[in-house]
Amino acid sequence: MNLGRLVRRHAWSHPVRAALTVGAVAVAIFLFCFLRSIVTSLDAAVSQSASNRIITASAVSLFQSLPSAYKGAIGAIDGVDSVSRMAWFGGRYKSEENFFAQFACDAEILFEQYPELLLSDEQKKAFIDDKRGAIIGIGLAEKWGLKVGDTVPLIGTIYPRADLRMWEFNIHGIYRSARANVDEMTMYFHFHYLDESLERGEAMGPRGTSVYLIRLEDGYRGEDVAYAIDAYYEGGPQRTRTQSEAAFQADFVNMLGNLPTFLGMIGAAVLIAIVFGIVNTMTIAARERLRSMGILQALGFSTSVPARLYLMESCAFALSGGLVGAGIAYFTQDTFRKLFGTQIPVFTVETDTYLWAAVICVVTGLIGGAVPAWRAARMRAVDQLRRGI
Amino acid sequence: MSEPVIRLRGVSKAYRKGGEELQVLDRLDMDVEEGEFLALMGPSGSGKSTILNLIGGLDDPDEGTIEVVGENVSQLGGDRLSAWRARHIGYVFQAFNLIPVLTALENVELPLLLTPLSKTQRREQAEYALQIVGLGDRMDHRPKQLSGGQEQRVAIARAIAMDPTILLCDEPTGDLDRDSADQVLDLLQRLTSEYRKTIVMVTHDLKAGETASRVLHLDKGVVESQTA
Repeated sequence: MNLGRLVRRHAWSHPVRAALTVGAVAVAIFLFCFLRSIVTSLDAAVSQSASNRIITASAVSLFQSLPSAYKGAIGAIDGVDSVSRMAWFGGRYKSEENFFAQFACDAEILFEQYPELLLSDEQKKAFIDDKRGAIIGIGLAEKWGLKVGDTVPLIGTIYPRADLRMWEFNIHGIYRSARANVDEMTMYFHFHYLDESLERGEAMGPRGTSVYLIRLEDGYRGEDVAYAIDAYYEGGPQRTRTQSEAAFQADFVNMLGNLPTFLGMIGAAVLIAIVFGIVNTMTIAARERLRSMGILQALGFSTSVPARLYLMESCAFALSGGLVGAGIAYFTQDTFRKLFGTQIPVFTVETDTYLWAAVICVVTGLIGGAVPAWRAARMRAVDQLRRGI
Repeated sequence: MSEPVIRLRGVSKAYRKGGEELQVLDRLDMDVEEGEFLALMGPSGSGKSTILNLIGGLDDPDEGTIEVVGENVSQLGGDRLSAWRARHIGYVFQAFNLIPVLTALENVELPLLLTPLSKTQRREQAEYALQIVGLGDRMDHRPKQLSGGQEQRVAIARAIAMDPTILLCDEPTGDLDRDSADQVLDLLQRLTSEYRKTIVMVTHDLKAGETASRVLHLDKGVVESQTA
């Protein structure tokens, strides 16, 4: 027998009420973990961006292509180690509703520029050697059941084929990503294949590239090289806007509007509601237990013991609910990652989020128990015994 | 004659109820000897239960001094008062006041958490107390699973588990049938005769009064008469 057992017995003396309270906290903590993870996953892509890469896009809009001829001039600028093209393909897989990200890229330079893409040398070589070859992320492979050797048929939306048939790409590799800035839900294929198809009239669409990916030489600052590139094209034919990879990723996040603030507000509202819920549960419990707490004092327990018992019980509710909620968040993150697909490809519930959830549970528990604890500490035993039910 | 274990001198107490002041005790003097079984009788509102609350330090007097086991109770406060109460006072209430979510054994063990006894020692002492009240076979029952008489005997076991100097009993037979009440009274009498416990018992029950070694009749906050 100890006071912990008394707390546990009191907490579960009304099983339905206890289960509802724990369930409500669990839902709130799950929502907190889920909403925060959306924000942190978007931020992770920004914060883990490489510092030795910059990206050049059109100064007009990200959706405006840049001429392919820029590649040579950019490559000649001081501080540029390598430059490659990357074009947004925007195809649909088999039917219009199936979407994932596809990029046409300079395959020969891709792995040098993006060491985060992890796949075997054999798969890299097979991809580079086949003009219609492609590599896909492990997430994509799992979602669509794709494997090496499969053919991926894509409906061209930005680049429809002239014969109205689907594009076909041969999968030669399935990559994993070493960092959150590169997702595992993307397909890469040869820029040459797209460009040649356009050149021959086999497909229609804008010529040029969406962006240029530039790897810097050691010792050069991204800002200086970016300034030099943009200055070079200041007079046209098309002005450029060159940014660090982090800034480029941040622009994508900003395109979602004030989503982090909006999600934060929803999360805060849910947490405030749950604080009220626990306060309510504990206030009812305290009213029911007025006599029991008077008895404890009559037995010789100090006035602080009832207060401590309320705080312990409230924290037990909050932490039990938190554990359940965080557990649900942990075990469902893979499902949500697949569900979000390319929208939030690196959706992960980070350790920080669990720690914050634990802090919230403790604070919620303390607030929930504070009101009855304060009352119990102020009320004399004789009054508790007299007024108790 | 030995020093009284309980000594009340000039004790007054008033409560405010509905804007009116009710004088519950009026300059009361009272002594209780060690090992004595004292019954307090009188009509409702005569101040019987208030005396118990004052002796146990659950309430403070407006005037006067209350010395219990050589300690001026009204000068104790906070944790010192709690510790003193745990060491010297055992309570038995009319409504039993067991913790409903704990078993009989756990209820009796509860006050022992305030001692430095080990878990095993606590359990042994609680079992012993339950055996004294004749409930050695009901240890794992919750209050709901016990009869009124059994509940009250568990409450008495809880009150004596700490081996207190004084037992304060507030209408201990008030909610019991005659047979159960007699068992409880026998038990209380045994506690004074065999274990030399000092008992102060508030009661309306004439038979309970007869069990006591002395009866104080109270009315309007003063001792009206006394019978030995």
